[in-house]
Amino acid sequence: MESFLQTLIAGLLLGGLYALIGIGMTLIMGVMKIINLAHGELMMVGMYIAFWMFTLFGIDPYLSVFIASPILFFLGIFIQKFLINPVLKVDSILPENQVILTVGIGMVLANLATIFFKSDYRATPVSYATSAWYLSDYWENAPIDLSLSVPWTVSFVIAVAITIALWFFLSKTDSGKSIRATAQDLDSALLMGVNVKLMRVVTFGLGSALVGAAGCLFIPIYYLFPSMGGQFTLIAFVITILGGLGSTNGAIFGGLILGIFESMTATYVGMGWAPVGRFLIFVAALIFLPGGMASLLKKKRIGK
Amino acid sequence: MKRFSMLMFMMSTVCGIAFAGLAAAETLELGIPLPLTGAQAKFGEMEMRSYQIAMEEINAKGGIKGKTVSLYFEDGQGKPEISRAIAEKLIDVKKQPIIFGDYSSSCSKAIAAVANERKVPYLVVTGADDAITQQNYEYVFRMNPSNAYYAAGLGSFLSQVVKPTSIAILYESSDFGTSGADEMEKYGEKIGMKVVVKEKYEKGAVDFKPILTKVKAQKPDVIYMVSYVMDASLLMKQIKELRIEAKLFAGGAAGFAIPEFINNAKDAAEFVVTATLWSVQVKYPGAKEFAEKYKAKFGDYPSYHGAEAYSALYIIKDAIERAKSMSPADLQAAMKATKMMTAFGPIQFENKEGYQNQNFMETLVLQVINGKHETIWPESTASAKYVYPIPKWRDRK
Amino acid sequence: MKKYLPLIVLAFLAVLPLVGLSSYMLHMVILVIMWSAVGMAWNLLAGYCGQVSFGHAAYFGVGAYTSGILYYQLKLSPWWGIPISIVVVTGFSFLLGLIVLRLRGPFFALATLAMGEMMRVSAENLNWLTGGNIGILIQERTWIDKTYYYYIILAIATATFLVVKYLMQSKIGYYFVAIREDQDAAESLGIDTTWYKTIALCISGALTGIAGAFYTNYMGYIDPHVVFALHDISIVTIMIVMVGGVATLLGPFVGAIIMVFLAELVRSIPGLGVAHQTFFGILLILIIIFLPNGIVGDFQKIKRLFKVGGAYK
Repeated sequence: MESFLQTLIAGLLLGGLYALIGIGMTLIMGVMKIINLAHGELMMVGMYIAFWMFTLFGIDPYLSVFIASPILFFLGIFIQKFLINPVLKVDSILPENQVILTVGIGMVLANLATIFFKSDYRATPVSYATSAWYLSDYWENAPIDLSLSVPWTVSFVIAVAITIALWFFLSKTDSGKSIRATAQDLDSALLMGVNVKLMRVVTFGLGSALVGAAGCLFIPIYYLFPSMGGQFTLIAFVITILGGLGSTNGAIFGGLILGIFESMTATYVGMGWAPVGRFLIFVAALIFLPGGMASLLKKKRIGK
Repeated sequence: MKRFSMLMFMMSTVCGIAFAGLAAAETLELGIPLPLTGAQAKFGEMEMRSYQIAMEEINAKGGIKGKTVSLYFEDGQGKPEISRAIAEKLIDVKKQPIIFGDYSSSCSKAIAAVANERKVPYLVVTGADDAITQQNYEYVFRMNPSNAYYAAGLGSFLSQVVKPTSIAILYESSDFGTSGADEMEKYGEKIGMKVVVKEKYEKGAVDFKPILTKVKAQKPDVIYMVSYVMDASLLMKQIKELRIEAKLFAGGAAGFAIPEFINNAKDAAEFVVTATLWSVQVKYPGAKEFAEKYKAKFGDYPSYHGAEAYSALYIIKDAIERAKSMSPADLQAAMKATKMMTAFGPIQFENKEGYQNQNFMETLVLQVINGKHETIWPESTASAKYVYPIPKWRDRK
Repeated sequence: MKKYLPLIVLAFLAVLPLVGLSSYMLHMVILVIMWSAVGMAWNLLAGYCGQVSFGHAAYFGVGAYTSGILYYQLKLSPWWGIPISIVVVTGFSFLLGLIVLRLRGPFFALATLAMGEMMRVSAENLNWLTGGNIGILIQERTWIDKTYYYYIILAIATATFLVVKYLMQSKIGYYFVAIREDQDAAESLGIDTTWYKTIALCISGALTGIAGAFYTNYMGYIDPHVVFALHDISIVTIMIVMVGGVATLLGPFVGAIIMVFLAELVRSIPGLGVAHQTFFGILLILIIIFLPNGIVGDFQKIKRLFKVGGAYK
């Protein structure tokens, strides 16, 4: 019982953070239909910003969210405007030729980090890094002992807050609605007078800013080195598909499900197999739930 | 035709550049393959710096046989086929009569095969996989002990001091992690220690709590972890967070033996012991000087990887000076006859226990005491008395 | 002229070892040829049939492991891996196709990516079969002289080339292109798209698997991280074809020259140090921005640029 609850807690916290990584990608993939293989590298950039802010100025990584996100927003805009747009414009045999582009961008970002910051492993040794709340501290004769890590919980709460803010932006503001319209149906959006070009640029910026924020939330609990991006790009893919392309709500559920599923596989099957579990639900989602979690959510709402 | 001529042009440029730049006469140019980009770059960098320190020292004292040593580094990116390309290039184009370097086992294997086929001696510096020196490769020498011996010191510490009855083994999914874990399991059987959990995880995992929860339920005496760099500190942080009480937390070299471990895990690293091949406190001649020099230059102490690289160049120097000529065959004979003391320890290439040209050495145990790695085992080389039993998490601070 | 170009390239490659290349050069050329074979195989599925796979490492790795397991478990010569991997990988591709071919576009791409990763983790965990992370080491390679390996891989690549070429000239080839251009339209014309996609996948997979089996023999050592690598195999394959020219016969060859030879060249530029990756990354970005269909695909563009006195349109 203790194991199960502790695993569940771990999975939930992990899932919340995963969700934030995934949301950035789901937005980008939804609006532009491109596979961004530099997503993890953008996260790395965000983490380096948080790291240097902490090392040089003693700024807490959580506050760096407000520094890293704007920087990443503009970096994203730059990438979209000057690199991706020119490639999207031309008619090529396979639209996937942007893959080279994002791989190239990722390579350059990771390599620049190696050149400027060395390939050392970095971490922000914040004072609360290993502190936790324990059930037994509050309830003396608790039958089971559960713990809740302080940095994990804080990161989770901020991730949720950012997600809610994003949801608000997407569903209540005009620009947000335009982004969603572009993601759902490009042609109709064009007809309705949405400035699709602008929306694409904004979306890429927004996606980058989100993953930059995720980087800031990750650094107190994880660590940092130049070539760390790849595995997070993969996780973002899984969540995007699990949640449904372009659906932020879906990404949240996708992240949580992935986090819990991975944790449960690790506890009850074996951690070596956890990545297989990850891809198994990924493929299962692709086949049995092509619309992702979003389609389930929708069905319920409409009551079909 | 145009397309074809362009092709030809490209090819000839490639060849031209590759053939150019043969070594000048009075310097001894040596190329070293190392992973300088990619996931293993951290160690490539550390080794590169250590080689450079050794090079400066050697040159200050008159070089090798009067020639100034000039090292250059080839980035193998941790990919075996690139490492192989580098080896081929060094042998074939640069006519380098002896090869040394590279970091991972898989790259070392790729180079070893080429070196042995082409009959050019190759000194494996950090590749730990047992198989490298078990293939009757006459031309392949290895200075670091094979993986099977990494934890020998830790084993004797366990059986003499801790006397555990059960152990949990967590290891990363790599050849290094797997063979380390297998050796510990075998050793556990030998001394009557029950292996209650043996689990591997994907390198670079974020959350170890699920697997640790499982370990917690089994209440093992010892938790032994074979981990890459930062996984080690994440594991300890999360062990502390879950308050898993074991009699001893032990690491199998690599991630537990580098300064980053303490820097990142902070108080969670306290009292963790780890097997290692070398430490700053060893009493080998030159070890301390090297460590201090490295720290003064780069701000942190090197791990055993640095010491190995540093000593490797001295081994090469020694072999070249003793060899009758610069031919690979003579160098091979000289390497075989190596018997010297280095900052890394005594080096001698022996054929025994199924290994060929393998250096056997005593391995050490470190413990983090007051935020510093101290050598605690064997007691003859200890820099501090070990702390055992260790306090419970709840009672710390 | 154009018609004979492949023949000229082949003739050139056939006599190449006779001019006394260094072993290093030969190694690079072998890698180039091996990668062009993999690229051609990928091109069949992605370039012609439009199914962009992000998981060709799965077939490469299964081929490599077929060879490795024959040696490791059955003590057979790893060369048997080349014929046997055709059967094994075809079967494997067929099974995989049942799952992934139901998907389209980015979904297909991501599903294949997941399959590649799943195969890697499985190879890591199935210790009793694959030896797990320790990998498989072939004690002694067959030949020291690389010329033999060179001609073997050249034969494999030539065969791959011919298979792709004749397939694309046949009726099946036209079906492939029809599926790429508009799957629904192809379906409505009575083409059994699933069946033809399966054919493309199986052939593409088998051809990749042969290259994988060759890799085992040539390198003498495989482990899951090397032969099932997402970036170093799957993505590199895509880049080779995209850079060289999608849906062109010679594109993969040109791409392999750039991705292997040029990368090695850039890597060895003295003084560049670790920055070689930035340099190469920027090169890739430039290629794709200015030549979105790859070097062979957009060759007319290059020609126009270089034409003396010709105005650039």
